[in-house]
Amino acid sequence: MLRMPEFKYHHPSSVEDAVAVWHDAESAMYVAGGTDLLPNLKHRLFEPTDVVGLTGLPRPQIVESDEAYLVDGGITLHALASHDGIRKELFPLAQAAGLVAGPQIRRMGTIGGNILLDTRCLFYNQTEFWRDALGYCLKKEGTWCHVVGGPKTCVAAQSSDTVPVLLALDASIELVGTGGTRELALRDLYQFNGMDHLAIQPGELLTRVRIPKQPEGFTGTYLKLRTRDSIDFPQLGLAVTATFSGADLSSLEIVVGAVNPRPKGVRGLESYLGRPLDAESIESISAAVVKQTRPSEAIQGDAQWRRAMAGIYTTRALKNLVP
Amino acid sequence: MKSLLTLRINGETKEVAAHQHWSLLEVLRYDMGLTGSKQGCDKGDCGACTVLLNGDPVLSCCTLAYAVQEAEITTIEGLASPEGPDPIQRAFDVCGALQCGFCQPGMMLSARALLDETPKPSDEEIRQALGGNLCRCTGYTKIFEAVRKAADGMERQVPTVYGEAADGFLVLGARGRKADSIAKATGEAIYTDDIQLPRMVHGKILRSPHAHARILSIDTSRAEALEGVVAVMTGSELTTPYCVIPWTPDEHALEPEKVRYIGDGVAAVAAVDEDTANRALGLIEVEYEVLPAAVEPRDALGENAPLIHEVDWKGRERTNNVCKTVSLEFGEVDEGLESAAAVVDETWFYEGSTHAPIEPHCAVASWSPDGQLTLWSATQVPHYLHRELARVLDVEQSRIRVIQPALGGAFGGKSEPFDLEFCVAHLARKAGRPVKILYTREEVFYSHRGRHPMEMRMRLGADEQGRLTAVDSKILIDGGAYHSFGMITTYYAGQLLPGPIDFPAYRFHSQRVYTNKPCCGPKRGHGSVQPRFAFEGALDELACALNLDPIELRRENAMSDGDVTINGQTVPSTGILQCLESVERSSDWKSRWGQLPYGRGLGVACSMYISGTAYPVYPNEMPQSAVTVKGDRSGRLTIFCGASDIGQGSDGMLAYIIAEQTGVNPDDIVVVSSDTDLTPVDLGAYSSRITYMAGIAAQQAGLAVRTRMVESTAAHWDVPPEQVGVALGHLFDKSDSARQVSTQAALQLAEAAGGPIAESGAYWTRKVGGDYRGGTIGASPAYSTTAHVAEVDVDPHTGIVRVERVWAAHDCGRAINPVMVEGQIEGSVYMGWAEAIMEAQVYREDGLHTGPNLLDYRIPTSVETPDLVAEIIETIDPGGPFGAKEAGEGPLHPVIPAIANAIYDAVGVRLRRMPFTPERVLAAIAEGQPELESTGK
Repeated sequence: MLRMPEFKYHHPSSVEDAVAVWHDAESAMYVAGGTDLLPNLKHRLFEPTDVVGLTGLPRPQIVESDEAYLVDGGITLHALASHDGIRKELFPLAQAAGLVAGPQIRRMGTIGGNILLDTRCLFYNQTEFWRDALGYCLKKEGTWCHVVGGPKTCVAAQSSDTVPVLLALDASIELVGTGGTRELALRDLYQFNGMDHLAIQPGELLTRVRIPKQPEGFTGTYLKLRTRDSIDFPQLGLAVTATFSGADLSSLEIVVGAVNPRPKGVRGLESYLGRPLDAESIESISAAVVKQTRPSEAIQGDAQWRRAMAGIYTTRALKNLVP
Repeated sequence: MKSLLTLRINGETKEVAAHQHWSLLEVLRYDMGLTGSKQGCDKGDCGACTVLLNGDPVLSCCTLAYAVQEAEITTIEGLASPEGPDPIQRAFDVCGALQCGFCQPGMMLSARALLDETPKPSDEEIRQALGGNLCRCTGYTKIFEAVRKAADGMERQVPTVYGEAADGFLVLGARGRKADSIAKATGEAIYTDDIQLPRMVHGKILRSPHAHARILSIDTSRAEALEGVVAVMTGSELTTPYCVIPWTPDEHALEPEKVRYIGDGVAAVAAVDEDTANRALGLIEVEYEVLPAAVEPRDALGENAPLIHEVDWKGRERTNNVCKTVSLEFGEVDEGLESAAAVVDETWFYEGSTHAPIEPHCAVASWSPDGQLTLWSATQVPHYLHRELARVLDVEQSRIRVIQPALGGAFGGKSEPFDLEFCVAHLARKAGRPVKILYTREEVFYSHRGRHPMEMRMRLGADEQGRLTAVDSKILIDGGAYHSFGMITTYYAGQLLPGPIDFPAYRFHSQRVYTNKPCCGPKRGHGSVQPRFAFEGALDELACALNLDPIELRRENAMSDGDVTINGQTVPSTGILQCLESVERSSDWKSRWGQLPYGRGLGVACSMYISGTAYPVYPNEMPQSAVTVKGDRSGRLTIFCGASDIGQGSDGMLAYIIAEQTGVNPDDIVVVSSDTDLTPVDLGAYSSRITYMAGIAAQQAGLAVRTRMVESTAAHWDVPPEQVGVALGHLFDKSDSARQVSTQAALQLAEAAGGPIAESGAYWTRKVGGDYRGGTIGASPAYSTTAHVAEVDVDPHTGIVRVERVWAAHDCGRAINPVMVEGQIEGSVYMGWAEAIMEAQVYREDGLHTGPNLLDYRIPTSVETPDLVAEIIETIDPGGPFGAKEAGEGPLHPVIPAIANAIYDAVGVRLRRMPFTPERVLAAIAEGQPELESTGK
């Protein structure tokens, strides 16, 4: 079977130890659920000398405060999807977590891992042999992006299901490094560069996700386009969150995932606030989503079709949200 | 380096020396011998490796063994208790939810976790909970049934045959368990990769990164020098070419001079472990001269196309890349088309697809000190493998024993020799140690032999009543780099089309072309699934043009028992009318077809398929199949037969027939199959031949045992043999039914009278087929027939096609064990549906496979698989064993055109290119095909 490269395994029992071990090693990698990183190791996309396992850390928790849910990075997607409070108050997040991959992966994969998920590409997530036959690619060992046909830009797609929702909810993350702990808004985490899409420092460990509670009248949904109704990564992920005051729309966020290295927050939605979400608005918003969504063909599915689906899905999502 | 790891497994604390970079799956399987957890995809895409971690199902191939030191791990070996198997295991066993059994340990653990959390799950909850466990055999239908049954409570011990037999029979027609399913359910069945031999080393094959290149030199010296490497080989060491068809050998164990596709093997190594073997591959230096590649058939036929094979199998120089051309004509085709009231003339395209069994190919070789080779392989043709091994290795056949262990799915993908089988044998010979090679999933995709891409132009004419007047078919077949069964494929593409729809004139021209891609071969419904898609789609278009109900049009043209097709094939029995009537009724066709709202549609299609080919792939006068039955004084019978049980249940079929003949309870019958030292030859699991051919052999062998039992009992009672009856478990006096002897006693009487019980039966081919060159190819002693109705929901905004339900009526002659027949129907429908909707083996322009893994090549999950309704039609074939015919491949054919025709009924567009992806459907709708208006929707 496909083998992982040889490495030394560490099993720290505290965050501080984990960070210290990472920094002491020649080239280390954190592994929590392992559902993405182990295949990547088998594909030789990474060849660390040391792996810092996170399953020995204190049991992860979801803590609720007045303003927010504080979710430890090691919480599994299954735990998130089935958490009563999250299901009740932040339903689209539970929905998105419940749509990741298949049942086993949701019980292994963590929210921290899903946020920091490496970008994906048809030319990158392949074996060493395959990539050699291809002539490698810009993101790994090569000089050419086979998606855009050029030497400069890598458009591997951020393919997390939960991230579009977390962005719509204005979540932030807690990162622990050797210099201490810092908070980073999720909207500042992602960059439009498939080779380096995360604005974090080497060795920083994601320990917690802060998700603000939403005002009364909050509603939202996550729609996922994929071939199979299980296992598959999204061909398109659409998070829509909104707040209604009576019939009037008082907030609206739309984030499109699985299109580019950075999830796409749709702009210009303010103009629809303060009035009911009528058919005309829905049509106009959907058109705006199509206009602003430019999927790359880094992942499965015709780009133009996926772009059109962003509009169709927006219409369907919005129609369902109207109170 | 290994260190000591402590794990809690199945309630026990175990210490094991394990590598820190090994997955839990590897430690379980290879360090601890818990081989019930299976390896299918390498990297978390298939679920076969599922174990429970603190009660939660997880993928052990994507879990580091060292990361779960604190957890309670449950493997399939930990499910059973001293009282017997877990209810979920027994339910899978009883419901026929295990065919090959390879995905099921993981599946059952997921099901166990579901029931622990939700004791009475809904159907939707069952589908969702199993959504990460891919099954390739069952279409999930019987798995859902098993989970529901386990939830309802399941007794732990159940007899082999638990249902009511058909009228007048002891066991035939009764629902029963598969011969091997409880061993598979408990993880005890041994598959090839489960074999570990003392001193065994691991082999790996170096593969070409070029689609077409000349090998200028290979330097293996650095690999040989690497510590831990025990043998290295290149193609120059085994230069005899091979092929499953003996007169067309065109490939080598490893290619000595040229590589012809990305993935072609050039060298192999054996080393103390897989990591060392991989490192050694990296040290082999191959100098290539890269040649222009012909990746598409049209390129390969072009004027300046590079020659993929410079010489043919007789050593003659080639001038083009044509592998095989077949042109045949029967009746007055042009007149038929000219006189027709309606003619359909269109081109269809089938994109290739692959088998994707969950078990990757694997082989193990071991030589005795006396030079005797034993080769275990995941093959479905041990006998053909035996012959080719002898030729290529240059060893007497009598020095070779081939054993097929339990097999984790095949579908035609393991029906010829593969490079790894020759390589393990040769490496083991060189190393003086047993060698194992297990393909990675990627290698399974490269070895391929899947369904050929075909471009099919078909012209069909019909008169005003819908009677067909003529069929003209021209097919271009993309063969890939080697011959495989290519000659037969080329014939099958034309020869298998006539029937169950009859037509009076037929011309076909089919041509298979070499291309620089992995070699195509036989996949379930070899050669005929693609033309059937075109033909049955064309029939629908004809019905539309003539304003006829498509079921009526098919009835109008249906064949009858004993009819001879236009190409000379005699069809002894056909259930086509009953099949059509069955699906017409169950789908409520008459009140729904053409009348459902826009976006919803019904489509029909039918087909016919062979029950084995009349001629073996090498000419000989010996039987195609044979069975020997040995009786023991204990009352037990052992059946020996070379037939390959690849999950379809042929072992159980043999046990049923022997039980029927002898009265011995199926619980007292054991089957030894597919071992060339122990079993009489059967040619293998291909062309749907086993039930018919091995079934007849078993029928004869069983009759011989029965005769001895009856005659010696009659002598013992001093009555004429006619007076002795056989019931299940005993023989009785027909004039005094209270007078009985057990079957055990009857076997002892027979042994006392005539010596040990060992009786044989055999099947010889009867002469069938057309009297012309090629007329015997595709000729079969019997043909199954099938009709399907598919119901689809097409989203006209997204193009997404959801197949809601398929009603599949299949005429299998006699259903020996209905559970197995239903399983074959459901599995076939699932596989064809998957090809129609999502599967495609696609390559880049440079010949590189676009995604040789089970994440990019999508095979369906339990969640989106349609409701599959299997309807058994029994016609009782005059030649088949107790009237039985095939059920394993025929039921795949109609589903693809039935879906295409249903899409037309739903949204008024014809999909003539597969698969029917949302992009294609939406584009067809957007093009606003003129048919849209004519449907009135």
